[in-house]
Amino acid sequence: MNDPTENGPDLRTTIGGLVLKNPVLTASGTFGYGREFMDLIDLDRLGGIILKGVSLSPTRGNPPPRVVETASGMLNAIGLENVGFDALVREKLPLLETLGTPVFINLYGTTVEEYAVLAAASDRVDRIDAVEVNISCPNVKAGGAAFGVDPASAAAVTAAVRSRTTKPVMVKLSPNVADVAAIARSVEDAGADAVSLINTITGMAVDLKTRRPKLANVTGGLSGPAIKPVALRMVWQAAGAVSIPVVGIGGIMTAEDALEFITVGASAVQVGTANLVDPSASVRIVEDISAFLSENGIARVTDMVGALTV
Amino acid sequence: MIQTETVIRANDPVGGGCRRMMLDAPPEYGNARPGQFVTLRFPDGSGPLLRRPFSIHGVVKAADGTVGVELLYKVVGGFTQRLSAMRPGGAVDLLGPLGNDFGVDASARRVWMVAGGIGAAPLAFLARRLAEMGVDMASCALFMGGRSADDLISTERFADLGMAVHATTEDGGAGEAGLVTAPLAREAAISPPDVICACGPMPMLRAVAGIAEARGIPSRVSIETVMACGLGACLGCAVETAGDEKGYRHVCRDGPVFDGGWLKR
Repeated sequence: MNDPTENGPDLRTTIGGLVLKNPVLTASGTFGYGREFMDLIDLDRLGGIILKGVSLSPTRGNPPPRVVETASGMLNAIGLENVGFDALVREKLPLLETLGTPVFINLYGTTVEEYAVLAAASDRVDRIDAVEVNISCPNVKAGGAAFGVDPASAAAVTAAVRSRTTKPVMVKLSPNVADVAAIARSVEDAGADAVSLINTITGMAVDLKTRRPKLANVTGGLSGPAIKPVALRMVWQAAGAVSIPVVGIGGIMTAEDALEFITVGASAVQVGTANLVDPSASVRIVEDISAFLSENGIARVTDMVGALTV
Repeated sequence: MIQTETVIRANDPVGGGCRRMMLDAPPEYGNARPGQFVTLRFPDGSGPLLRRPFSIHGVVKAADGTVGVELLYKVVGGFTQRLSAMRPGGAVDLLGPLGNDFGVDASARRVWMVAGGIGAAPLAFLARRLAEMGVDMASCALFMGGRSADDLISTERFADLGMAVHATTEDGGAGEAGLVTAPLAREAAISPPDVICACGPMPMLRAVAGIAEARGIPSRVSIETVMACGLGACLGCAVETAGDEKGYRHVCRDGPVFDGGWLKR
């Protein structure tokens, strides 16, 4: 019998027809526009990068303080500050031109029509390999999470994006819902190629001395290791509800964390807060997944997808 | 900018609940500029989640080409408590140098520095670098303020270079009683400097910028905020600056040193 790990395990995975060289993506909002990490790591070693969320017009974001550390996590209320779609294409994407790894744009709008316009514009840009649709940011009042908490509006956004682009469409889901499986099914029915989850969990922190919220926005999104058990549960539920690929997100710091998500049914993962803490985390996770598979005689990472025994 | 796991060479108390730490650093740190900062975390991932930023307090280049980076920190929370317990030989994850600098070069003749307590950290590096560039340090001065005598940290580093040191304490335990801005305003009225560089709490920085602006003196202030990545990726360290309709500035990428006139008052 051939040693399946002779040439290293096969880390490839597929999302909406797009083959990723490995299952590790960088989560939107934690990796800037990619350029910020280029001096520190080789981006081509990643399965793909997902850019900071972008809207049609530049967005100023929330007032400071925007970030606070909590037990095993961080709360943020950045408010989707971004340069706007045109500036992203003009100023940020050229820096990624020579990159071999896929680039996902992350879109958010305040109306269904804005999502559609952004999707159509993205479709015309060669450097954009896939689209992630953000219907789950908890930190902006209009749009964002408003679309992600209701199956019908989630489906409406998905259908609008689907109809305007031939690129793979991945819809990023909110954990701040009662039934994530229902939302996942509705975006699958509306034509999504994949779902990614979870976005941050709405949370809050209080300064007892001043009796004021620690974030100027009052509430923020919780990320980091604190949310991993919640994320695993929701990825497991979503994976059981849809037949499209599920991409797991939530507190992944190590390859073991990533493989737990894959075991409950994720075809790929996104590393988020870990990038802020350790810029080399995503690359290290790729290496360590490969090492884990080798050590355990597993030929393909896809052999691990949904391998959970209940 | 480089991320490296490095070794602590010294970690000694300097009074006022502060410590001075010396770390082995990659040769790139030989080009670090005063005002820049680094971020640290514990390599085993233990301790608080986020990296913590620290101003570069000094850079030491040994004869054999090795470089050391010095940090001056106050023990204020869980991270710095753990850091204070680290012994020489212990490892930390060092990322830097990050951010911009004070932008003061050898053409500056009379440079005044204003430090609020631990704010002395980057200014000592600036003073050392100016002296190396041949600036006449006897025509430069340090204004150092604290709540009590314990907060007057590292003043010897400035005095040793020949700088006049104006110390103030709020409790009157050392130097002049009151806020550091009192001698600053008084001296600036007599003979203003070419530039004022300041680091300390935000109310102090606003007051310093106000004094500088009233006298037409350029000022450069180093701002501290909560920060997550330090790389310009997360946009968590936003500050609102005056006349800045387009958006927020970010301490890690646009700073940490800003023109005093940009501070929102």
